[in-house]
Amino acid sequence: MKTQDPFKYFRDAIDYELEFVEKEKSRGRKIVGIYCEYTPREIILAAGAIPVCLCGTSNSTVAAAEKILPSNLCPLIKSSFGYFITDSCPFITMSDLIVAETTCDGKKKMYEIMGQRKHVEVLELTQKSDSALSLKHWVDELRKFRKTLEREFKVKITDSDLRRAIKLMNRERALLRKAFDLGMRNPSIVTGLELALIRFRVAGFEKHLEMLEKFISDVEKRGKSRKKPGGPRILLTGCPTGSGSGKVIEIIEECGGVVVVQEACSGIKSVYELTEEKGDPIEAIARRHFHLPCSCLTPNRGRIELIAKLAEDFRPDAVIDLIWQACHTYNVESHIVGEFVKNRLKLPFLKVETDYSPSDREQLKVRISALLEIAGK
Amino acid sequence: MKKARITCGVDIGARSIDIILFDGRKIIDSIVINTGAKPRERALSAYQNLLVKNGIRKNKLLKTVSTGYGRNHFTDADEAISEIACHAAGVAYYFPDAELVIDIGGQDSKVIGMLPGGKVVDFGMNDRCAAGTGRFIEMVSDILDIKIEDISKMSFRKVSGCEINSMCAVFAESEIVGLLQNDVPVEKLLKGVFVSVAKRVVSLMGKSFSSREIIFTGGVAMINGVAEALEQETESRITVPSNPQITGALGAAILAGKR
Repeated sequence: MKTQDPFKYFRDAIDYELEFVEKEKSRGRKIVGIYCEYTPREIILAAGAIPVCLCGTSNSTVAAAEKILPSNLCPLIKSSFGYFITDSCPFITMSDLIVAETTCDGKKKMYEIMGQRKHVEVLELTQKSDSALSLKHWVDELRKFRKTLEREFKVKITDSDLRRAIKLMNRERALLRKAFDLGMRNPSIVTGLELALIRFRVAGFEKHLEMLEKFISDVEKRGKSRKKPGGPRILLTGCPTGSGSGKVIEIIEECGGVVVVQEACSGIKSVYELTEEKGDPIEAIARRHFHLPCSCLTPNRGRIELIAKLAEDFRPDAVIDLIWQACHTYNVESHIVGEFVKNRLKLPFLKVETDYSPSDREQLKVRISALLEIAGK
Repeated sequence: MKKARITCGVDIGARSIDIILFDGRKIIDSIVINTGAKPRERALSAYQNLLVKNGIRKNKLLKTVSTGYGRNHFTDADEAISEIACHAAGVAYYFPDAELVIDIGGQDSKVIGMLPGGKVVDFGMNDRCAAGTGRFIEMVSDILDIKIEDISKMSFRKVSGCEINSMCAVFAESEIVGLLQNDVPVEKLLKGVFVSVAKRVVSLMGKSFSSREIIFTGGVAMINGVAEALEQETESRITVPSNPQITGALGAAILAGKR
């Protein structure tokens, strides 16, 4: 491996991932494309396949998608679809199968169009987080998915395969959690942009985990020398970001703030809880996913509880809620989040509705600077 | 006059550049020019001219603060502060007890909630849409072939406006063209436009902003019909300072003296 600098490594992570996935594929391993944190990566790993998160965070493919999809869809859907129809994501080309969930209406229908060209397996994610019946249905979906993979890939997935995969994913999540927890330090020792680098696409890739350990120890070393307080500490919640869609994190940090924690599924939310290692493995996988408080769940009290916990641990000076344009669930839920942040946490709150394009950067800077000025007092 | 206390505020907005010299208590001089295609150069030469005109050398200025869209590109400023904080400070100079400001500028509109003295508590701003901004009114005046100055002083209180439903400035334009084809009188149309601008701004206020008196600033505050429409939509008293276009620059100059 070429570099020992974890920051450089994660900036170039996609190159290492491509190399790894190509090599494994040529050895006969199956590749499964995924789009969402709800995808049960453990079952895919247990089938001997590699789960790879597919591209959907760049503005460059949005225009191509708009030839087919309506333009008033969220940029995440349009970008994903654009990559798909223009064949510009090599991971899509290499995928033997794509797994998707019914998280929102736009995605659900997009998967139908994708399904005309490629095998897309859609799992029906139920939405009532506190209902036993919903959980049972999700467990059934996962059992069916296990059988689908066994049939498609001609393998047998045993319970001990699943338990091994749970342990592997737990190790990965625990390391990511440890890295995100570095944001608790005050004065801060790591930026939001640096933490955004470590959301890699390929799960169960040993080299990533080694470099993640190095990332953590390198950042911890800074802690010994850094005494100067940084700018206002920001808790970023809402829609996920990724490579190419980190605009809001960039602007916050350009304006002098620090994103100390990102609540979104591209941040700490997806690694906050581990999968239970005891009991029936499929039920354990299903339960963990049900504890992931995405706005597609109703009611989504878990998100408010998580924000409260993060506010206690990370001591933010303000909260920013990022909404990708036309993401209705996050957009509507923003009202509930805003009331909670302002009235209960007594923190300044800003909702930012935008897309992947840079066109509104200056406008966003005005409101983000103003929020930082309020928070900095 | 002790020159060591003099500060300067430069507001480089989307449509106009406003510069103010402030001696700590009152405005010494001010200038308002169009932004044009080269805002940085224009702002710099206007700034230099204003200093020369008042016989003030740059090194005698206590501090210069820039604000507005061009704030980070005005290299002669010692600090850049967001226009939200500057408008609040500028309004507090005229109205120390003000709690709520509506500012409608060329490219955006904002609602600012503040404590007496000008400390910002919360704010709302329009998204990337021109409806509800000065630019929208300019577009309409172009279609109607009327100068904004000619309608600014007119009262529309007795006119019942026509409905403008489009939420987008571009579509609103085609809606207006359609209304003209149907011989809708110009004053009804203008009233409709002013009410639609007011409604957009009121929607920014949400539930968290309310006050018996609202201070209305920005270039659009010079149009009487918009102030009337805001009064109608907010049911609050609308007060317009004597020179509503320069509160941002004034606030920048005031904050320059405080930091």
